[in-house]
Amino acid sequence: MTSSAWLKWLLLAVGLAVLAAMPWLVGEYPLNLIITMIIYSLFALSYNVLFGQAGLLSFGHAAYFGLGAYTSVLLFKDLGFSLLPGILGAGLAGGILGVLLGLFVVRLGGTYFALLTLAFNALIYAGAEKWRGLTGGEDGVAAMRPDLHIPFYGDVGMFSTVHWYYFVLIVVLLSTWFCWHFTRTPLGRLNECLRENEDRARFIGYNVYMSKVAVNVISAFFAGLAGGMAGAFQEFVTVTFINLDKATDVLIMTFVGGSGTFWGPILGACFLTYLNQVLSDLTEHWTLIQGILFVLLVMYAPQGLSGLLISLKDRFWGARAGKLSPAAKGEG
Amino acid sequence: MDTLAALPVQALHGLVYGMLLFLVASGLTLIFGMMGVLNFAHGALYMLGAYFSFSILQWTGQFWLSLLVAPLLVALAGALIERFLLRKVHSYGHAHELLLTFGVAYIIEELVKIFWGNEPLRVVLPALLAGSIPLLGIEYPVYRLFILGVSIVVFIIMFFVLYKTRAGIIVRASVANKRMVDALGFNVPLVFLVLFGMGAWLAGLAGVIGGPYLITNPAMASTIIIDLFVVVVVGGLGSIQGALIASLLIGQLQSIGILVLPQFAIFFEFLLMALVLIFRPHGLMGESK
Repeated sequence: MTSSAWLKWLLLAVGLAVLAAMPWLVGEYPLNLIITMIIYSLFALSYNVLFGQAGLLSFGHAAYFGLGAYTSVLLFKDLGFSLLPGILGAGLAGGILGVLLGLFVVRLGGTYFALLTLAFNALIYAGAEKWRGLTGGEDGVAAMRPDLHIPFYGDVGMFSTVHWYYFVLIVVLLSTWFCWHFTRTPLGRLNECLRENEDRARFIGYNVYMSKVAVNVISAFFAGLAGGMAGAFQEFVTVTFINLDKATDVLIMTFVGGSGTFWGPILGACFLTYLNQVLSDLTEHWTLIQGILFVLLVMYAPQGLSGLLISLKDRFWGARAGKLSPAAKGEG
Repeated sequence: MDTLAALPVQALHGLVYGMLLFLVASGLTLIFGMMGVLNFAHGALYMLGAYFSFSILQWTGQFWLSLLVAPLLVALAGALIERFLLRKVHSYGHAHELLLTFGVAYIIEELVKIFWGNEPLRVVLPALLAGSIPLLGIEYPVYRLFILGVSIVVFIIMFFVLYKTRAGIIVRASVANKRMVDALGFNVPLVFLVLFGMGAWLAGLAGVIGGPYLITNPAMASTIIIDLFVVVVVGGLGSIQGALIASLLIGQLQSIGILVLPQFAIFFEFLLMALVLIFRPHGLMGESK
């Protein structure tokens, strides 16, 4: 194993250990913030399946997230679902909407995708606002987070923040593993090929349209899953889960973190969620700062924070390694 | 019976909004046609027009002055955005330009909230425009007719410029084939700058006259951007005739929709969009490439 691969596994192991030990490391309030970060990491990760990997710029990802949030809360409230089925139902609802909208939005090129996702998000938003009987309109809908039912074991209460933290962590880690693995599958590879050269993929004989729909469904499923957990976390869902602001938030998180790497969106989601918490206490103009940061990155560092980190690493670590190895070869 | 009687009035309402929408959409679609950029900040520029006019009105009390000056200020803002922000990312491609204009829209919206607050602002109209006159059997607000008049005048001037002047020919030629125009020796970056400024001017003008009618508030930009995008999809990206037809259609769908099915009026334009996507994916007047 090369030293850099070894380092990667070490970092991963340390990261997982810290995540597992988190409830002992921090108090109740920071733990809630960390749960928010983890949920938004999954949202950003699902967004980047479209944006970073497929090169599709969406302004409508809140449709899936919001639908997921409504689904889980309504399943808890009206149908008495336990925790896991409710959250999975949210993912499923996102995925189904991903099929329906995907058939429309991926038909035309890049700019159209941006236009159409925004318009369809507005449509879903209007639906949520008008269907008051189901969603409560602007007033929203509330439901307590139910227990997690584990077969042959019994129920685990979710009232405790620590239990809830572990549940969210496990769901998001499994989803992250799936998303990472997805980039290695043939469809995941094709996805990146579509970003680079769609015509070539078509000439080789791939069904570009259906591949894009499939990718949209995967992305929508995880956005729905994230939304389902966000709804269960707040125990209350309103139209703010599904509006345009939510859709642009995830775009900004993903871009700021960096869409070019797998972990960039996670970094962006954690960074901005944290800054949002800290800075919104200090200044009411936090969103303006966020907007300026976004524009600066668009202009000067389009690879986002992860791109900046990688170039920093290359400058200090990579350069030294680069100087050493030829010298070592020369002596050998 | 009542519904039928209200039909002509609602149709006139729809025409007013449709023409206003077209003023904004025309700039958006010309910019797209020529530069390939979907200008996300177009709605924000429209909103700036309304706010600039509000402040000018507050300082001077002159509505006509604000009608003249505010759109020019918006045009200047648009030109600055093109020259100092958009041009810098041009080489990265269209997706990047779209992201940039989105970021600019985001910043403008936040600035508007900081300078003018979150509350809707009330614009006091000059006496000449504030009243109403008998029309189609009811008392119709003069201001809406004024909006209609201004947008028709601008529309006629715009078509005259586009189709009868040398500058218009260059613009239309650039939409059709940018590289050829460049090769013929025209200064394409300058054409872009002027066009972007003109588009911003149109959006600003629509904001000035639309503000008192649609209420000047910080959500103006995101409200109109949805209608704008539907117009562009229905009409066809980059087609000015398409933008006109789609704007008028959406104006009618909204106002007649409210009359027929008030609860579902908002869904009609999306239904239209979905139908266009199924049967004419590139829009009513768009060309498939």
